[in-house]
Amino acid sequence: MSRTLFAIARFELRYHLHRISTWVYFAMLFAVAFLIMCTIAGAFASVNAAVAGSGGNVFVNSPRSLLAQVMSVSFFGFIVTAALLGNAVYRDFETGAYPLFFTAPLSKLDYLAGRFSGALAANAVILLSIPLGLLAATAMPFLDAERIGPIRLAAYFQPYLVGVLPNLVLTGAVFFVLAALTRQMLANYVGGVLLLVAYLVAGSAQDIEDQLFAALVDPFGMSAMDHVTRYWTAAEQNTLLLPMTGVVLWNRLIWGAVALLVLGVGLWRFQFAHAARERGRQARTEAPEIEVEPRSVALPAATPQYGGRAWLQQYLAIVRSSFRGIILNRYFVAILGAGLIFLVMAADQVGKLFGTTTWPVTYSVIELLGGMFSIFVLVIITFYGGELIWRERDSRIDQLVDATPVPNAVRYLAKLSALIGVVVMLQAVLLVAGIVTQTAKGYYTFEFGQYAQTLFGFNLADFVLLCILITLIHVLVNNKYMGHLIAVLYFVGTIFAVQLGLDHSLYLFGGDAGLVYSDMNRYGPYVEPFVWFKAYWAAWALLLAFASNLLWIRGRETGAGWRLRLARSRCSPPVLTGSLLACTLILGLGGFVFYNTSVRNEHTSAIEAERRRAEYERLYKRFEGAAQPRIASVSLEVDVYPEERDVYARGEYRLENRSGEAIDSLHLLLPRQVEIESIDFGRPAEAVLEDEERGYYIHRLAEPLSPGESLDFRFGLAYLTEGFESAISNLRVVENGTFITSEMMPHFGYSPDAELQDDEIRRKHDLAPRGEMPGADDVEARRNNPLSGDADWIEFDATISTAEDQIAVAPGYLQREWVEDGRRHFHYVMDSPMLAFYSILSARYEVRRDEWNGVAIEIYHHPSHGYNVERMIEGVKKSLDYYTAEFGPYQHRQVRILEFPRYQSFAQSFPNTIPYSEAIGFIARIEVPEEDIDYPFYVTAHEVAHQWWGHQTVGGAVQGATFIIETLSQYSALMVMEREYGRDQIKRFLRYELESYLTGRAFERRKERPLLEVENQSYIHYNKGSLVMYALRDYIGEDRLNAALRSFLEETRFQQPPYTSALELYEHLQAATPDSLRYMLADLFEEITLYENRTHEARSEALPDGRYRVRLELEGGKVRADSLGNETRIPMNDLVDIGVYGPATGGATDGPLLFLEKRRIRDGRQTVEVVVTAEPARAGIDPLNKLIDRQPTDNVATVRAADRP
Amino acid sequence: MELRIRKLSKTYANGVVALDDVSLTIPRGMFGLLGPNGAGKSTLMRTLATLQEADSGTVHLDELDVLREKDRVRRSLGYLPQEFGVYPKVSAEDLLDHFAILKGITARKQRHDLVHALLHQTNLFDARRKSLGGYSGGMKQRFGIAVALLGDPKLIIVDEPTAGLDPAERVRFLNLLGELGENSVVILSTHIVEDVAELCSRMAIIKDGRILLEAEPLTAIARLDGRIWKKIIDRASLPEHEARYRVISSRMLVGRTVVHVYDETQPDPSFVPVEPDLKDVYFATMSGVAEGVAVPAEEFAL
Repeated sequence: MSRTLFAIARFELRYHLHRISTWVYFAMLFAVAFLIMCTIAGAFASVNAAVAGSGGNVFVNSPRSLLAQVMSVSFFGFIVTAALLGNAVYRDFETGAYPLFFTAPLSKLDYLAGRFSGALAANAVILLSIPLGLLAATAMPFLDAERIGPIRLAAYFQPYLVGVLPNLVLTGAVFFVLAALTRQMLANYVGGVLLLVAYLVAGSAQDIEDQLFAALVDPFGMSAMDHVTRYWTAAEQNTLLLPMTGVVLWNRLIWGAVALLVLGVGLWRFQFAHAARERGRQARTEAPEIEVEPRSVALPAATPQYGGRAWLQQYLAIVRSSFRGIILNRYFVAILGAGLIFLVMAADQVGKLFGTTTWPVTYSVIELLGGMFSIFVLVIITFYGGELIWRERDSRIDQLVDATPVPNAVRYLAKLSALIGVVVMLQAVLLVAGIVTQTAKGYYTFEFGQYAQTLFGFNLADFVLLCILITLIHVLVNNKYMGHLIAVLYFVGTIFAVQLGLDHSLYLFGGDAGLVYSDMNRYGPYVEPFVWFKAYWAAWALLLAFASNLLWIRGRETGAGWRLRLARSRCSPPVLTGSLLACTLILGLGGFVFYNTSVRNEHTSAIEAERRRAEYERLYKRFEGAAQPRIASVSLEVDVYPEERDVYARGEYRLENRSGEAIDSLHLLLPRQVEIESIDFGRPAEAVLEDEERGYYIHRLAEPLSPGESLDFRFGLAYLTEGFESAISNLRVVENGTFITSEMMPHFGYSPDAELQDDEIRRKHDLAPRGEMPGADDVEARRNNPLSGDADWIEFDATISTAEDQIAVAPGYLQREWVEDGRRHFHYVMDSPMLAFYSILSARYEVRRDEWNGVAIEIYHHPSHGYNVERMIEGVKKSLDYYTAEFGPYQHRQVRILEFPRYQSFAQSFPNTIPYSEAIGFIARIEVPEEDIDYPFYVTAHEVAHQWWGHQTVGGAVQGATFIIETLSQYSALMVMEREYGRDQIKRFLRYELESYLTGRAFERRKERPLLEVENQSYIHYNKGSLVMYALRDYIGEDRLNAALRSFLEETRFQQPPYTSALELYEHLQAATPDSLRYMLADLFEEITLYENRTHEARSEALPDGRYRVRLELEGGKVRADSLGNETRIPMNDLVDIGVYGPATGGATDGPLLFLEKRRIRDGRQTVEVVVTAEPARAGIDPLNKLIDRQPTDNVATVRAADRP
Repeated sequence: MELRIRKLSKTYANGVVALDDVSLTIPRGMFGLLGPNGAGKSTLMRTLATLQEADSGTVHLDELDVLREKDRVRRSLGYLPQEFGVYPKVSAEDLLDHFAILKGITARKQRHDLVHALLHQTNLFDARRKSLGGYSGGMKQRFGIAVALLGDPKLIIVDEPTAGLDPAERVRFLNLLGELGENSVVILSTHIVEDVAELCSRMAIIKDGRILLEAEPLTAIARLDGRIWKKIIDRASLPEHEARYRVISSRMLVGRTVVHVYDETQPDPSFVPVEPDLKDVYFATMSGVAEGVAVPAEEFAL
């Protein structure tokens, strides 16, 4: 390194360290880091925030959590880098000082490398504020001490070293070189956008098959870090630093090389000479100088016009000129180009689930493309909003323009219109992209109305408001870079505002009540609040526009004092009237919105909702054990008014005292905000507590209900929709697609389900941590089942009325259907016992009917969603085939699947009724059933299985309850799918299950439990459940396993309390398992067991008889984890598959299995030899991934021919 | 038609006094504002062009209050700033047309004719389709004048237009300025004495924000008649001469130094009389040696 270089670098560093802006940046990043740490460490009562890798058992300052925090804050640092590194050379061009440097006796390398390293060092100092801010915050006394672990300096600074600094070198190189080569700062924005695109592309890789690629593509390494740490348990997150190996190391090396390459190109291309940019220009325009004396030309008369029509023309002229200025700008073209590339990539991702795409229906295309593209629109609005405001000044033509008799308002409106015009153009691009995407994917149902409404209505409204805000910021701040920074801070602020309790859309600029499209219900209930909220914000925007206009910079007075004085002088009567009008509108519309959202409805902040639940527990927990009657029969009359979104429910329960004691008080639970029209117990009773706030009512019976006695409880309730809400809470009752459940009906007895669940939140409200669920041996707890706490098997009938063009469905069989007073009525009666768990749906359905051995199959679907109805019917039939043969008879004569809007995405099984979300399966597109996982089929099989597991046998509400209900349903559906699609599909499916289980346990906030003790943890009862049951099936055989399940079912079918438990199921499984595999049963169900099997090497040798001997160098490993993820290696002597594949044909990864046999495998390295009949291609241990292994891909290795001795 | 400036003062936020109690009366015709760099010329020009606020004082264009009725002033204003840029990718014709609209000339035909006439007048017609990014300095200045002349302005303000022009361009530009209306108030600010000498019927000299002299150039020159003496000396003896005589200027001439000295009578025989010119007026005023000729601006204004 030459001396000059060092001197230049040192000068540059000192230059920056002496600038106040450097320390402002430092302070800002420090503050952001400090605030984030305080926020997640519980400093603000109203905020519950978490970043990846914190919360629950993970300390906020755990290495993993700090990594996430440092990396996310460093994102803001890019703005600083753009300014600092971009300016390192650019400022010589801006100030015109470059000839002084270029003529000095220094080399290009010294100059560039010196400037770069100096600015880089200064930037590195600034970014040091991030770990320091986090460190300082951790030491604050006001944090929740229980969330903070021991302070390890390495954990704070390692992310800085391996994450932030390499990213700084990369981004710095890009910004530095772009600005140096183009000699324009705007080029930096493009560079920044391109880096952002790469990051987003990496982040958008949903499919596990793409994740490794994504980890390498992400220039900032965050995907790689996530990839490496994604399975880390709480214990690992608390202790492990990011390992600099594997994909993280590769990522850093690759992008480090890219940075060097960029710098190299910069060095090579940089012209140590007069501005290269001007060279071209001069060549192009050597102006013809004609030596002619100016002629005195009598100027023709021209009469200037002022006012109205002239303003219109001036407005149009400025709009035209500004619009062209933007769209002809090459950086705009570059950003747009990046956006288009991104659109193309995004289009490929439209709606993936389990690697299967959905049909590109318009809403999904708009959401996906629009969502991705909106980043570019925001970037363009932000940058070009600033550019437009600064256009004249940047071209130094401002004095000429300022001296013309054009009112400020005309110029402001014209610029704003041009910006909006650009946005409109971008939306049109999006429209075209959407249509092209749909066409390319073979979908030709173009819904132009929906495109227009969404792109040029709802979305445009938001963008227009943003345009007004951004232009105001730039007018107000009057410093372009500061303006950009403030705009970015505004975007960041909007993200945090909600968490800081500013969650009413009346306080968040441009806020609304959300917007979700459903094919069934269109924008439904969202439209009204959207329109009112936007009208309110439009009034604000009007005021902002007046403010922009008054504070408009014209001329040379930019000091605050003069600007205010000038603004005062510009307060003409029209401006005053307009502003007053805007204020009036703000008050009027704001008042109207407030009246609707907070008076007619309730606006509950998150903290208030928590407080209410905490109070509920404090006040009524003491009643938890109080004896209450059980609901024995339910008879409902429900009137659904879809148009008004109102529901009136009248009902009659027969309540039986099945406890051994007399009951004198009835603890009635009702939903909040329900209107009680009547309550009658059929005998004298007195209301002694009516707590509407928490929905808790106590009625004392004049004469207690003695054991064995029953009474008839009658009620009339009205669920009314009035006005609109700030966040739409009632999506249950909508114009098309009403879906209400038994939860909304009256219940009896304190319900622990309503308690706060999260221990951190409980601590905040001074509640003791929530204990464990009762164990499987708790017979008292097993008197309740998890689906209904106040009923066992009930009789049920329901009469539902709805709009004449809708079909309403409830459990049971349709007795009668009639139209009366323009409303359609349905009467359903259930003829067999069922759980008190029911649903009522109403929508304009198309019905597809079929039949299986006397069981009616009905699919109620939205008319345009017929894509997978046949698959569902097939799924129902195949399920009925398998379940009736293997487990026992079906208790109903009908299976109905009903679509409901995508406000929620799940399917749920009620007695003979399966509501199924529009979002999962109805628009799935299974083109190649061998490759695409047929999840409509699978989900159907799962839900039908619940008619057995859940609706025939249901465990008590204790640990392991969902093992019975969910895991067995997963297993049943897997078997049905395997029969239909074969083992290869199941293998792919299980890879997703493994992924979900391993990431799920990384996010566990309490304790990971073995399957037998699962406490409603979905990653265990679904994902691990699938893996465990599939492995068990493999080891003991399908017949044995199914026989065990059948005997369990027979024992527990329609069982009265106390209900069965997972332990009883486990006894059946144990009985079916040979002693030699008992160890396996314990590993799968009683413990958390992970395997670390791998194949180091596979060699084959052709035998004289034409067969091949395959010699495998294997490593076995088995680990037991505790509930926090602390691992212990345990000895292994297990039966594990050894498999050999033949050569792959076609596009498949693996060829046919030539060999698959279980061998005893010890822990550690060992050699296994097998003989196969055909040429082997790949071989290894547990090739089908039946065992849970965090590195499933290293189980199999490519077979190489053995060296001949 | 008359521009009246009364007691105009301006101090910038950083404490620099740009205008200190400036009063001037500027009639129809070409008025030169002469002063060194940093004298406050541009501040005064910008204030007259409605782009800068004054701390105190008044400016009237006939009945029009220039400091308050800015929009009205802009309707009759032609302003060529000292430094200005253009949109580099736009052609001269298009940009001039754009400015014509901004100036209120909305009738298409009229505008077209006017733009063409102005392009002819400024001798840019042949280059009108070229993008402005490729214009030379002089062409850009002429384009600026074309902009300033749009809409028949009554008040034309031209701030340091010849700085940075080569001699040929400068001549061409001054010729163009010379065409400017006898019907308008034209203020030309410059630090080049010849500009004023060649064009202006009236002038003022400004230094440190104060008006040192307001006069007709010929009268001011006449006042110095017989009072300026010249001597060619060695460079080394300049300090001695400066101590002994009222030296108003010194310049190099083929390696020797020429000094001009102000005195009512011949200081000594080694001095020869010179015919005074506007430069001598300027230097005499600037150096303050010729107290007698520097008529207080106040007095002149009244």
